[in-house]
Amino acid sequence: MPPDFTNRRQLLQYTACGFGALAANAMLAGSQTTGASAGPNRFDGLHHRARAKRIIFLFMQGGVSQVDSFDYKPLLADRHGEMHTFDDARQLAKTGKPTEHHLMRSPWKFQQYGHSGRWVSELFSKSAEHVDDMCLLHGMHTEGVAHGPATLFLHCGSTNFVRPSFGSWVLYGLGPENQNLPGFVSIAPSVGNGGPRNYGNAFLPPKFQGTKIGGAGSASLTIDSLTRDDLPRQSQSKQVELIQQLNRAQWNRRGTHDEELEAAIQSHELAWRMQQVAPEVLDMTNESAATMEMYGLDNPKTRSYGERCLMARRMCEAGVRFIQVNYGDNSANPAWDQHSNLPKHADHAEAVDKPIAGLLQDLKQRGLLEDTIVWWGSEFGRTPYSQENGTGRDHNPRGFTVWLAGGGFKPGYTHGQTDEFGFQGVEGRVHMHDLHATLLHQLGIDHKRLTFEHSGRNFRLTDVHGHVVDKVIS
Amino acid sequence: MRDEDSLMQHRSTMLILALFIACCCLEWLGSSKPIYGLDQLERAREQTQFFENRIRPALVQYCVECHSTQTEASGGLLLDSRAGWQAGGDSGTAIVIGEPSKSRLLIAMGYNDSKLKMPPDGRLPQETIDSFSKWIANGAIDPRTANEPTAGLQVGLQVERAQDHWAYCPLASVESLSDESKKSSIDSFINARLAKDNIAPAPSVSHALMVRRLYFDLTGLPPPVSELQTPLEADRPIDADIEQMVDRLLMSPEFGEHFARKWMDVVRYAESVTLRGFVLPQAWRYRDYLIQAFTKDRPFDQMIQEQVAGDLLKHDDIRERRLQMVATGFLALGNTNLETQDKAKLEMDYVDEQLEVMGHAFLGQTIGCARCHDHKFDPIPTRDYYAMAGIMRSSVALEHDNVSKWIEQPLPLPFDEESHFNRLTTELADVNKHIGSLKKTANKNVIDDNRVISVKELAGVVVDSQDAKLVGSWTVSNAVGRVIGNGYIHDENTGKGKKTATFEPSNLLPGQYEVRMAYTASANRATNAIARVFSADGEATVLINQQKAPPEDDLWISLGKYRFEKDGQAFVLVTNEQTDGHVVVDAVQFLPLDNGATVVGPTIAGNAQTKLDAKSPRTEPATKTDAKLAKQLKELESQKKKLESDLSERPRFITIVEKSPIDIPIHIRGDVHNLAEIVPRGFLTAILNDSKITIPRDSSGRVELARWLSSAKNPLTARVYANRVWSWLMGQGIVPSINNFGTTGVAPTHPEMLDWLANELIQSGWSTKHLVRIIVMSDAYRRKVTKPSEREERIDPSNTLYWRGHVRRLPIESIRDSMLLVSGELDRTRGGASLKSTTKADYDYKHDSTRRSIYQPLLRNSLPQLFESFDFADSSVSIGQRPRTTVATQALDLLNNPWVVARSKAAAKRYQAKLVGGDLDSFVQNLYLDCFGRPPTTEELIACHAFLADGSSSSADQTVLLEMLIQALFAAIDFRYLD
Repeated sequence: MPPDFTNRRQLLQYTACGFGALAANAMLAGSQTTGASAGPNRFDGLHHRARAKRIIFLFMQGGVSQVDSFDYKPLLADRHGEMHTFDDARQLAKTGKPTEHHLMRSPWKFQQYGHSGRWVSELFSKSAEHVDDMCLLHGMHTEGVAHGPATLFLHCGSTNFVRPSFGSWVLYGLGPENQNLPGFVSIAPSVGNGGPRNYGNAFLPPKFQGTKIGGAGSASLTIDSLTRDDLPRQSQSKQVELIQQLNRAQWNRRGTHDEELEAAIQSHELAWRMQQVAPEVLDMTNESAATMEMYGLDNPKTRSYGERCLMARRMCEAGVRFIQVNYGDNSANPAWDQHSNLPKHADHAEAVDKPIAGLLQDLKQRGLLEDTIVWWGSEFGRTPYSQENGTGRDHNPRGFTVWLAGGGFKPGYTHGQTDEFGFQGVEGRVHMHDLHATLLHQLGIDHKRLTFEHSGRNFRLTDVHGHVVDKVIS
Repeated sequence: MRDEDSLMQHRSTMLILALFIACCCLEWLGSSKPIYGLDQLERAREQTQFFENRIRPALVQYCVECHSTQTEASGGLLLDSRAGWQAGGDSGTAIVIGEPSKSRLLIAMGYNDSKLKMPPDGRLPQETIDSFSKWIANGAIDPRTANEPTAGLQVGLQVERAQDHWAYCPLASVESLSDESKKSSIDSFINARLAKDNIAPAPSVSHALMVRRLYFDLTGLPPPVSELQTPLEADRPIDADIEQMVDRLLMSPEFGEHFARKWMDVVRYAESVTLRGFVLPQAWRYRDYLIQAFTKDRPFDQMIQEQVAGDLLKHDDIRERRLQMVATGFLALGNTNLETQDKAKLEMDYVDEQLEVMGHAFLGQTIGCARCHDHKFDPIPTRDYYAMAGIMRSSVALEHDNVSKWIEQPLPLPFDEESHFNRLTTELADVNKHIGSLKKTANKNVIDDNRVISVKELAGVVVDSQDAKLVGSWTVSNAVGRVIGNGYIHDENTGKGKKTATFEPSNLLPGQYEVRMAYTASANRATNAIARVFSADGEATVLINQQKAPPEDDLWISLGKYRFEKDGQAFVLVTNEQTDGHVVVDAVQFLPLDNGATVVGPTIAGNAQTKLDAKSPRTEPATKTDAKLAKQLKELESQKKKLESDLSERPRFITIVEKSPIDIPIHIRGDVHNLAEIVPRGFLTAILNDSKITIPRDSSGRVELARWLSSAKNPLTARVYANRVWSWLMGQGIVPSINNFGTTGVAPTHPEMLDWLANELIQSGWSTKHLVRIIVMSDAYRRKVTKPSEREERIDPSNTLYWRGHVRRLPIESIRDSMLLVSGELDRTRGGASLKSTTKADYDYKHDSTRRSIYQPLLRNSLPQLFESFDFADSSVSIGQRPRTTVATQALDLLNNPWVVARSKAAAKRYQAKLVGGDLDSFVQNLYLDCFGRPPTTEELIACHAFLADGSSSSADQTVLLEMLIQALFAAIDFRYLD
């Protein structure tokens, strides 16, 4: 084998298996990414002590209605059908004027759950059993009225410009926990509304790109080009040996001891290890019947999302940093997008409720919830009034609910509130930038100092915005 | 300017205040006869106390997190010092002393202005607001001086002092350091610099390596083996041979292809947009323009003018004019979010994207930074940004709708072709007229018998397949049966579960409808096509056996009766999930069932309201009463179809269109709804003020912008381009930050050589090939890649002084093209459209083209995996230099990517013929020459032998081993790294 690297900085720059920016730079010292205060030994090279090591993001594509799920508004039922003036986001973008709408009650019953006594609708009765583990953010607001812009904003912190996605920033900051697996995965992502950009690295180095596992509209959960099933493993192993034999011969022949070439040769070894390890993580057949039942794999209605959630737990155990579990589809009006026929929400809730409850329970019993953040939410919420007097609700970026569990967030807690109808936050408002900042904070990252220089500017996930919401941190 | 002024103001105000307080204190302590009355002093003390007790804590708690020099000056307003609020923010004065009601600070706190509510998390307690009001009314005493606003704020290089930075200085006329040929000038610059550090340059590569280098660098392809066979052993390049070879390669069309691709990185070229995967069907013309331009060595200043204002240049020669117009596509290829609902914002986003790309591509400037505030580092005031934005806003780039659309126009044609299409247009009008008059007299049943049924003739609201929203690739066809409107679409029987077609009528009035779907039956169809109807009643799924003819009129199948609400969900989604054959859909019809229902239609584009008789919504079955008329109509319809298809062949191009010129206001913080003063259209004032280039009142200024950008006096343009060409050949730029020549960029390693090259570019008539020639003929270019000594490693580890050669990592295009060469599959067809004309969305686009990579469809949602992992340029932004990474996914792709596997198999088939009964040594020898341009070493030969000898001798096994061997060569470092 060729000798070791002499220049560690270049090695880290070149290889995927190195460290994340923070860890690496702390080691190398003197980087603007970490700032002066991050010494090599304090906080393992992070900006401050981390409360979590990874995030599972349960993405409810299309926009779950907050007033039909976690934001209980009894007044809506009392004043059902009455006209009221709202700053409707869509009308406001087009005309700049508020408009009148019919209030619409929720068709679902609410009740109190847990010691904390939080009100949750029957749509999420199973997840609600874990309400004492949840930290509910009722005053969320975001940018973008249409799915395209809002979905990009949720993932990349920008409605329009090409920016790295949240998971890429996390991976850039922390590096992978497990070098034999991708550090950022998106399970069953939609091709629409930004598609690959929602898990893209943009201008960050490509090793921070999210890896797609399966896709919306497909039952199989696999990674492209991970394995080859037309060759026996033994044969391929011999082929890899040949490649490395030739590579070493060529490396010696050049005699230049080039570090990049060395990294390229090592990447074949890493790939081969990944090819052995990743399929094991992807293979769920060894899970017990009880576990499968817990995630709803025994029921055709919950199986699909259940499998994705179970996969997320396996990824979590294996040390993947950012795991997005998508519930959506490839259409222009994705899943939860009930502009009419609000009762359809029940079908979607049924598909995800049990798997989510199962995931929370499983993470908890395995002690993983301690250092894993579970983040549940949509690109925006829905209006408390009916859209054009119909049976559905329009998009609402001005007020909606997101919940977080684990990872040092206050359990059984609610933060912020919307007005009496649940339309917009009036107290404890949390902008999507703030949520991003707070999530990064829990991972030990100061969102203002996690920067990457591109095109003459230092870019951040939160642009020039974002405030850590201290009140939700335990 | 404005900054300077306001800063000066702060300083003087602060000085006066400080003096005031100092005086007060001194008098109070040391004099019995105060200048200011004691009660006044007492009041000041009270006020200070009030500030400390009430105001400071509130500011700390609620305001300074966003409004301080320590964090950020949100809205340009600082509240962590007196001077901060005295200076005001972007929107103006924050506090009018003594007048709370006129103070923006208080207006914001009161939540009285819907656009300005502070703090954003919620209204402050009334008590706190009252305190602020009282504080302002009483003079807003604020003793804080700690954070002077200048301390933490970044103040960029001022316009007046722009030339403090090297890149904004005029080009120096550098004398060639050598009297000899041009090429040795480069070497004089480089060697002079090396001599300073006492580094000896590495020797030349061998002739064979030099040939390989030249082929890959100039054409992106490996040399043919015949080129290598001559003086393989020569340990130095043979000058005469090399010179001839360079000239030959520069003349080759492959040079044009290769260099066009390099420029395409810079101009973020792609053929679709991310949003909904819309395909830009005319983008390829711009690509072909670039290939032609680089092949013919079109002067680069001319190329700049054509890309920025080609549509306005109006050359006499029609072919030239076409090239000019197509070049303008440069401005229209951005990846904009066409769905943005705030169209004013969308338009500014669009312009911003154009300015950003122009800035990077031609000037190496980050202009976009000045959209929200004066550039924090470079001399680009916001004013200049909006001066340039005004030029771009004076053209129309989009037609607005819920989803806005880019603009395509017919290309000008040579006279005979133009008149050909004009004739077709007239003929079509005649035919349409004829059809119209015949139909008036004919029984409508006759019409029904025709093969093409016009959407307009059908009852209810009909959404034709051409108006469906498509996800995934669908193909338009009319091969089978009678069709409605513009053919039917099918899912190609691929991508199961990944394709949907949504038929959504606009403005469907509320009411009961029968929903019907039209398709054409055939044996290759799915027996389980899925249509989902979304109505006020929810979602209904209908399975359709498309092998059977549609039951109604051989055309329709009913999907059932549904209720739709105003603006509620009303659409039919056809999907190919788990279907077992082609999924076909022609149209979807919404037939009103309520008596007297008013429907909008009949096409989705129409906004007119039409009353339809709901009692007889359908056409009656055909009874052939007038066979002659029917026949005549049929002929006319087919004539019409032919004419329409002929007309659709008229070439179009993507562009922007001039409108009346407009000056636009500065947008405060980049907000389209927060406008300040209007600025006249103009250019970047710090870079070049040329009195000869002024914008006439009645023109947009785009032509002048093009002239300004391409002026030889512009200090940036020639430098930036010369540096690019250098980096394309030498691996790194003289200015390493290729797209950034601003103050945050990296200084040139050889400033004089850069200016000399820029001058060479200008003096050669902006000839790209001239630059390429003098660079590759230099000694610096032909240096060997050597192992640095400890001293060299210490002095110049990155080889920025060019004392040795650099290892080239072949771009993915070259890796792919080389594999196709080895497999014998490379299709050398040049130019032309890369996508099927029927493709509407780019999701999961698959193709099996084996043309050179530059001719691959370049789709923003469907970049091939191989391109993704091997650092292909992000086609949404200008890329000066691609990232160069080594990640495990690359190795995984070389091992498992089905495309790579397929190339190995094809190659194995090709080489197998040579192996049978042949000599194994010469076989491996040939393989090595084709893959690496050299014979194998003994060690390699033995390894390959051993690998092939492993396993049984059955021919099937042999084939597999051969495939695996070839794939191993593809995966070896010598295949993608070049010394």
